[in-house]
Amino acid sequence: MNSPEKTLDPVTVELIKGALQSARSEMEALIDRTSMSPFIREKKDYFSAIFDRQGRLISGTRVPLAGNLIDCILEQYPQDDMRDGDLYIYNDPYWSKGAVSHLPDMVFVAPVFARSELMGFAEAWGHLWDIGGLMPGSISPDATETFHEGILVPPTRIYRAGQFNEEVMRMFLRNSRFPEMVKGDLKAIMASCQLGKRRLEEIAERFGLEALDAAFEEMLEQTAFSLRTALNEKVPDGRYRFSDCLDGDGHNDQDYAVSLTMEKLGEDISLDFTESTNQAKGAINFKMDKSVPANMLGLLLTGEDTSVQMNAGFERALKSVKLREGSIVDPVYPAAVGMRSHTMVRVTGSLLGVLGRATDGQISAASPVYVLYYLRSHDRLRGSYELCIEGLGVGFGARTFADGIDAVYFVAQKNYPVEFAEMEFGVRIEAYRIHKDSGGPGAYRGGAGIIRDVRVIGDEAVLGLRLDNVKHPAWGIKGGHAGRPGRVIVNPGAEDERQLRPMSDQNQLRKGDLLRIMTSGGGGWGHPFARPEASVRLDVLDGFISSESALTDYGVSLTRDFDIDVEATRTIRAGVCSDGDMFNHGEGITSKEGLLN
Amino acid sequence: MSDIQPLVIAIDVGGTFTDVILVDGESGRRWIAKTPSTPSDQSIGFFTGLEKVTGQAHIDSALIRRVFHGSTVATNAILEGKGARTGMLVTDGFKYVLEIGRHDVPRKENLYTWIKPARPVPPRRIREVPERVLLDGSIERSLDAVATCAAIEELKKMGVESVAVVFLHSYANAVNEKAAAALLAEHFPEAHVSISSEVLPVFREFERAMVTVLNAFIHPQVSRYIGGLSAGLKQRSIDAPLLIMKSNGGVFGPRQATNQAINMALSGPAAGVIGAGVVAKSSGHLNAITIDIGGTSADVSLIRAGQPAMTNESEIGPFPIQIPTIDIHTIGAGGGSLATVSDYGVLTVGPQSAGADPGPACYGKGGKHPTVTDANLVLGRIPEYLLGGEVELDREQAQRAIVKYVADPLGMDLYEAAAGILDIVNNNMVGALKVVSVEKGYDPSEFALIAFGGAGPMHASELSRLLGTKTVVIPALPGILCAVGLLATDLQYDYVRTCLQRAPEYDLELMRRVFGELLTLAQQGLNEEGVPEAQRRLDRLADVRYAKQGYEITVQLPMGDVNAESVSLLVEDFHQRHEQLYTFCDREAAVEIVNLRIKATGIVDKLELSTVDSCNGTDAKSRSTREVFFSDRGFQTAPVYAREDLLAGHALKGPAIIDQLDTTTVVFPREIARVDAQGAIFIEIDHE
Repeated sequence: MNSPEKTLDPVTVELIKGALQSARSEMEALIDRTSMSPFIREKKDYFSAIFDRQGRLISGTRVPLAGNLIDCILEQYPQDDMRDGDLYIYNDPYWSKGAVSHLPDMVFVAPVFARSELMGFAEAWGHLWDIGGLMPGSISPDATETFHEGILVPPTRIYRAGQFNEEVMRMFLRNSRFPEMVKGDLKAIMASCQLGKRRLEEIAERFGLEALDAAFEEMLEQTAFSLRTALNEKVPDGRYRFSDCLDGDGHNDQDYAVSLTMEKLGEDISLDFTESTNQAKGAINFKMDKSVPANMLGLLLTGEDTSVQMNAGFERALKSVKLREGSIVDPVYPAAVGMRSHTMVRVTGSLLGVLGRATDGQISAASPVYVLYYLRSHDRLRGSYELCIEGLGVGFGARTFADGIDAVYFVAQKNYPVEFAEMEFGVRIEAYRIHKDSGGPGAYRGGAGIIRDVRVIGDEAVLGLRLDNVKHPAWGIKGGHAGRPGRVIVNPGAEDERQLRPMSDQNQLRKGDLLRIMTSGGGGWGHPFARPEASVRLDVLDGFISSESALTDYGVSLTRDFDIDVEATRTIRAGVCSDGDMFNHGEGITSKEGLLN
Repeated sequence: MSDIQPLVIAIDVGGTFTDVILVDGESGRRWIAKTPSTPSDQSIGFFTGLEKVTGQAHIDSALIRRVFHGSTVATNAILEGKGARTGMLVTDGFKYVLEIGRHDVPRKENLYTWIKPARPVPPRRIREVPERVLLDGSIERSLDAVATCAAIEELKKMGVESVAVVFLHSYANAVNEKAAAALLAEHFPEAHVSISSEVLPVFREFERAMVTVLNAFIHPQVSRYIGGLSAGLKQRSIDAPLLIMKSNGGVFGPRQATNQAINMALSGPAAGVIGAGVVAKSSGHLNAITIDIGGTSADVSLIRAGQPAMTNESEIGPFPIQIPTIDIHTIGAGGGSLATVSDYGVLTVGPQSAGADPGPACYGKGGKHPTVTDANLVLGRIPEYLLGGEVELDREQAQRAIVKYVADPLGMDLYEAAAGILDIVNNNMVGALKVVSVEKGYDPSEFALIAFGGAGPMHASELSRLLGTKTVVIPALPGILCAVGLLATDLQYDYVRTCLQRAPEYDLELMRRVFGELLTLAQQGLNEEGVPEAQRRLDRLADVRYAKQGYEITVQLPMGDVNAESVSLLVEDFHQRHEQLYTFCDREAAVEIVNLRIKATGIVDKLELSTVDSCNGTDAKSRSTREVFFSDRGFQTAPVYAREDLLAGHALKGPAIIDQLDTTTVVFPREIARVDAQGAIFIEIDHE
């Protein structure tokens, strides 16, 4: 493929690219250092990006989230009404058409002017600790409308030409159970946008607006080119379908499927999600911006090329993305969206699925969605809340070139150290382990999930839970098995042991209860018999798999001293080795076993 | 240590060369030697260098009174994963503390392609033992001795050489860890033992575990290495203290270096920063940003009021290492950085490097791809030879590589392409310079840029222009500044303990006690190294944050009683520092004291830097001329000076080139370079 006409020399483009990255790095460093809430300061749930004057994403963090963060602001506030020193905020998934996808993520945007001409936008967002709603932390499996999930902020001008609008801030903070903490984060992120604005002004000064515009266009085209090239190389023309199912929404015992048809004809690629299930009552609805699947494909397929920027160019590589209003990926206001990541992960799963069909399995297996739990207590007499929200890692899907990542959450997001959690949340963590045998067996093994044992040491607490991939584990591919499901148990091994519904709220815990959360593993890739015996043995020694799994799944027989029984292994492995179906969906735990609803 | 010691030697082991400098403190004479490093056993290069320089000086090595040494033994063991077979004892339930880590995919990585780096100790060599310390330091469960002995037996059977012990909350109470260490000493005396409450008694178990494990991991190798050096010195009748460079910018003796080997892990570039600090002081630029550009990477740091910026949050390879370290930011940009063009036509430079072998195309050792050095050669910035003629450079090869792999694919001419390579690598390096300056709240225009390393002086002016510093300083010996820096180090130890204090109820009594205990440890450390009273300095520090914040700022607490007044001064200091670093402070917010620290210094007498003769009003004489390319002017004829011809007071008008043995300084058109009494070159940067 010939590269298109260039309007600017490649050196200047690269210089501008570097300068933008440097500006973003400064913006994130500032948030990192000055934010207040555990979500941002320890978990690091924040991201920054630079947009051009039309609101197109030019350079952002490499996460497969929405890119069109500016459009909804421009609809509310036309460009010629914007002034130097303005700052805009919003968290409204519906008003923003999915640019932001759940309410705790507050978006901050500073327009940037160069010689009084609008040149672009500096943007950052962060996940706020609490913005009101049904339960502390604002996300609950019990929510059935956005009104249960906190205050909705449509695009709002919080700074006008450098003048801060105190009233907006006051009204907003009044809606949070933790106003001080939220205020700290707001300050940090606003300062970061203002810093980004100054850096962009300097960049405009250094290179000039004309060069900047040309460089932006060039960076978009680079990104589009790399995805187009990758799709052309990897995907033959044709029509591919795949459905990936969620366990449920916490309210109905029903499968929710993200169903995708991908059609490729030459350079035209279209994605059609219209066959996906209708929207849910519970909070798993995903108001999906159309840039999301493009960004997912981009990161999946152009991962090796570090010169590719995460930007709106990925969208250019697709001809169309079709959604159906009222479906789980295009819900109608005010459907609840707090746990939209459950559906987002299935969107990734459906993309991997169609690519798997198109490439004869030369793509990663599926990954489960990360897990969160919310432990809250409320002192009614003092009017104060205690809130512990912990994100827990899962095992990612195996790749065509490597095992799935064990015990991992997401890009750039960290767990709370045990010593930190005990210091801040009034709990005791009694174990933090690998969930043995949870990774889907394969030539490349699916990543293993984790086990976290949490002892309640306060008087009582209300627990909200969100763990998926129980009924529908992360699938394996090309002979690889599905990951094994997680579960949640209270007081394991004791007389009053009980299992909790993995997606549920209002679970009452008492002082001394032990909460055990076991997270799901990723799907495997390739037949497990093809996994080197030595790797299987080390997996047993390291506690990622059991000896039984080594024998039954991998066909590797170990002696009592964990040496490989060469003869026995050869016999077993010589037996069956048919690849079977392309996808292995595993055996989930179904509602019949009383776990779901 | 205060007696007059005329002969002092510093030996710095770098990736390619081992640099040696020998100084006679009385006459101020110095001798310099360079010898190839010997990575498989660095002590060979060490002694070769030592003999080479004492031979040059015609002195009896027995007269050497002090030996400073910077080594990469610890660093390499970690980066290459070639430490000892290490085992670990952890609290029951937490065997996967290293494996799980912070459960993130690093921010700059792609989650679909990232592979988790292998830990220095796999889970199979980690044993859980029943014990539990709580947050407040109370013992919920004492160490189960029977289970621990069984675990020790298992580690023994696995052939473990070294053991790390990391129990939860051991920073608050080390009793259980110490009990485990005692059992190890009794039942497994041949193993080295590192316990986390000694290596890094601060909260956050993964980070503490990683430092402790790495300390155990490299201990046997470092111990053997230092033992070998000591024996070798003795053999040569050198009865002088061996002082080894630490990551914190200080030095320590063999005993401490052996036990706390992890403190050597980031010491490589630290000596260079100390060397730059000496230059900063002697030149009157107490605020300086430093850049050391070598073959594969550039190390960047900041000096404020004569002191290098410190951090408690560094990384070595993919691992966090939260010990006090000079804050050095490293990027993959140097002379050997490769220029590549993607299918689409994107030109990038680095982080891949041609290394020393095959090296840049112009080395003629089989390198086909163009590098930064090739671009510098094609543009006439550097001469057609290295090391005063020892190595010939092939200009033809450099041109061919740039034309084939950069100019042709991009439709540019040779010189545009070469200049573009330099522009891009400079831009990358400026990104790193901003990380240590503007990202920390410092305005570069208030700093000088000190550039050294083999490739620093030729890039300095451009970097300065892009960054906004007004002055560039090129030290007299830019190629061996690390060795020079070693001579300027002091013994330096850091003691720390987590002692969380929440406003407004600071427990002054507890703080007094913890400081008292840390002080005792500090005095013991100084006693061990035989530092006399008069040479000791003790500083009290605290890591402070706003309640609910995730990061602490280290501020000083004056010596004297810990009382409400001194604490309120500390808090005020914190507000000011916060505002400076992060643009705001909040005097209403509650302030938490997280860690208490003692910094103990044993001051080592310094040598005077030698000076160069005055030019007495004469002009510098160039030896030849060279055609040098500058982007907006094309080729210009530039006079070429030899560094050794330059005298104090000389002023050179750019364009000009100053060649010396191991580097070249480029003075751009319209710039003036001046030479000071120490032989350093100053270039005022024109920001028009």
